[in-house]
Amino acid sequence: MAATDSTATPARALLAAALALPGIVPATVAAQTMPDAGFIQFKYLDYRDWQPGARRMRVENPGFYVMSPFAGSWVVEGALVYDGMSGASPMWHDTLSGASGEGIHDRRAAGDVKLTRYFERFSVGAGVAYSHENDYISRGASIDVRFWTADKNRTFAFSYAGAADRIDAPDGAARQERKYVNDFLFGVTQVLSQTAIVQSNLTYTRGHGYFDDPYKTFDARPDNRRVLAWLTRLNQHHPESGGTLQLAYRYIDDSWDANSHMAEAAWVQPLPHAFSVRPNLRYYTQRAAYFYFDPPFPSGLVFGQPYTADTRLSAFGAFTLGLLLAKDFGDGWSGDLKVEYYRQKSDWRAGGNGSPDILPFSARWIQVGVGKSF
Amino acid sequence: MRRTRRAVSLALLVLLPGCASFAPPQPWEKQYLATPAMQFDADKLDVRNIQHIYYSKEGAAGGYGIGGGGCGCN
Repeated sequence: MAATDSTATPARALLAAALALPGIVPATVAAQTMPDAGFIQFKYLDYRDWQPGARRMRVENPGFYVMSPFAGSWVVEGALVYDGMSGASPMWHDTLSGASGEGIHDRRAAGDVKLTRYFERFSVGAGVAYSHENDYISRGASIDVRFWTADKNRTFAFSYAGAADRIDAPDGAARQERKYVNDFLFGVTQVLSQTAIVQSNLTYTRGHGYFDDPYKTFDARPDNRRVLAWLTRLNQHHPESGGTLQLAYRYIDDSWDANSHMAEAAWVQPLPHAFSVRPNLRYYTQRAAYFYFDPPFPSGLVFGQPYTADTRLSAFGAFTLGLLLAKDFGDGWSGDLKVEYYRQKSDWRAGGNGSPDILPFSARWIQVGVGKSF
Repeated sequence: MRRTRRAVSLALLVLLPGCASFAPPQPWEKQYLATPAMQFDADKLDVRNIQHIYYSKEGAAGGYGIGGGGCGCN
């Protein structure tokens, strides 16, 4: 493929120039031009998690995505996903809801659609989203504005999204509760060189309303939350091997004190016969929310004060190890298979001091996808 | 404050390998940038699925984008 060959021939120079023209460079190269081709994709996700001696949740998730330019300067895109969930979830710490490990059955259907209009030096997009579960309905809307420099090497993104959620747990723990969330994003994408691009996003989320988990015993969380997330990513191509290094780092500052660091590295390597492989490694570490209390349950509980025994708000570290195999079948068709393994342990928190007396948590997920550009 | 300094240091560590060769290309020099591996979030469904998993299993999420609808998973 051209990307692996540093020999500059007239044909390759022409191809390079063609790829750089507006409408041919994919939209996410500095996100500065609209795509000139549509794309349709189907993906199936199979997710399972467990702790020592017990299976927990299983999720089967088919998803569908389509994006299409139209009328010269417009792009419409949308997605539909369905989650079929079953299994057992902790009532507190790692004590599960059913001794048999089979307690929960739920379904989630979600969809969103976004319309974007491209202009010479900026774009404006607007979208709506809807998600429905038996006990949780979320309605949202978003607006997205992007500006780029004349050389299209730098893009600024400004986005806002608002969501209004209704929680109505059938067991009566939550009746007609409401949650409102406002999200703001500011991002900069900069092309550094012919082989490197960096992106830095700052998102600020402010929510108020019902944040409790109605299925966790005595769970009582603050009725507001502010989360500041700073994500920086770098993609570095290496023409001599044809491979691409992808790095990411994220810091989260949370008003509940569940601050976290995340670092991820991946390598994309093209292989013969239009195959490519992408191994990835991710590390995540977080501190505990200020109202999380260690076992034994319900130690630390004071009625009227915030309290949780949800281990997702404990102090822990986690690793993800994954492998993606993809193939370009030609004529716009592509396929991929991705397997990832995830493990959470208190001992893996950076610097130690993870929350004590919690069982390790493990998960694995497999995704199979097929796509077609048109 | 110490946490913020540590976060800035880690971000610079990620950025520096690229900044060391800062030379924005001309339009005809972007063939490598156009490859799928150089795109951020090229696989939209994968990003949705993976971020949804982390959102439902870890304390807080953000940075990758906004909107898309909430869920009762956290």
